Amino acid sequence: MVAAPLLAASAAEVAISVAADALVVLGIVVITLGVVGAYRLPDVYTQLHATGKAVFLGVIAFLVASIASGDGAIIARAALIAGFLILTTPVGAHVIARAAYVRGEPMRTPGALDESGNGLDRPDGAVVEEEPPDATRDEPVRG
Amino acid sequence: MIHEVVFYAASVWVAVLVMACAVLVLRARSTASRIVALDMLVLLVIGLLVLWSDAEGVPYFLDAALLLALLAFMGTLAAARFHGGGRLF
Repeated sequence: MVAAPLLAASAAEVAISVAADALVVLGIVVITLGVVGAYRLPDVYTQLHATGKAVFLGVIAFLVASIASGDGAIIARAALIAGFLILTTPVGAHVIARAAYVRGEPMRTPGALDESGNGLDRPDGAVVEEEPPDATRDEPVRG
Repeated sequence: MIHEVVFYAASVWVAVLVMACAVLVLRARSTASRIVALDMLVLLVIGLLVLWSDAEGVPYFLDAALLLALLAFMGTLAAARFHGGGRLF
């Protein structure tokens, strides 16, 4: 939409333009919260919530807002990018989380629970082959 | 007119967030955390390109954004699998 005078624009065009602005502002808020979350959250597993949901959905809001341009080339490319991101972001997050888990990345979040028995929810968080007896903890579920 | 102002201001703010995310990449506590931050950095750059394309009204930036999404997915996959298993595939 190339800077049409506001009086000449029809009501529908104004409504679409305002909706696009609102979507951009919403995306900005969500992306900012995602970046703040990536700074504040203590370990990889919780940081993935911030990047894989908040930042991703903010970018999707930007892509939806680009529908208001009315340009077919922009809309087609935006739809392509949105579809690709929707397909690949969960896969990437899963692969990162699996790599962190295999490497024994500690879970520093308070109240985290590692049900595999590898002890990743301990404060020191190291992967131990033979767990030393620990009377203060419940025995983790094996298998 | 306010439409362009909103899009340009949003582009500037996303550029600030890209810089903050680059700082996060540098001071990440572990390798997996660094991979997460790099993934988020590329997502932010994609959002910046989308906003800039809308502000300018030209579709060419979206080609770059699409290519960046493709490359970033492969890069994240390769880095994470190498970090987790010691080999790529």
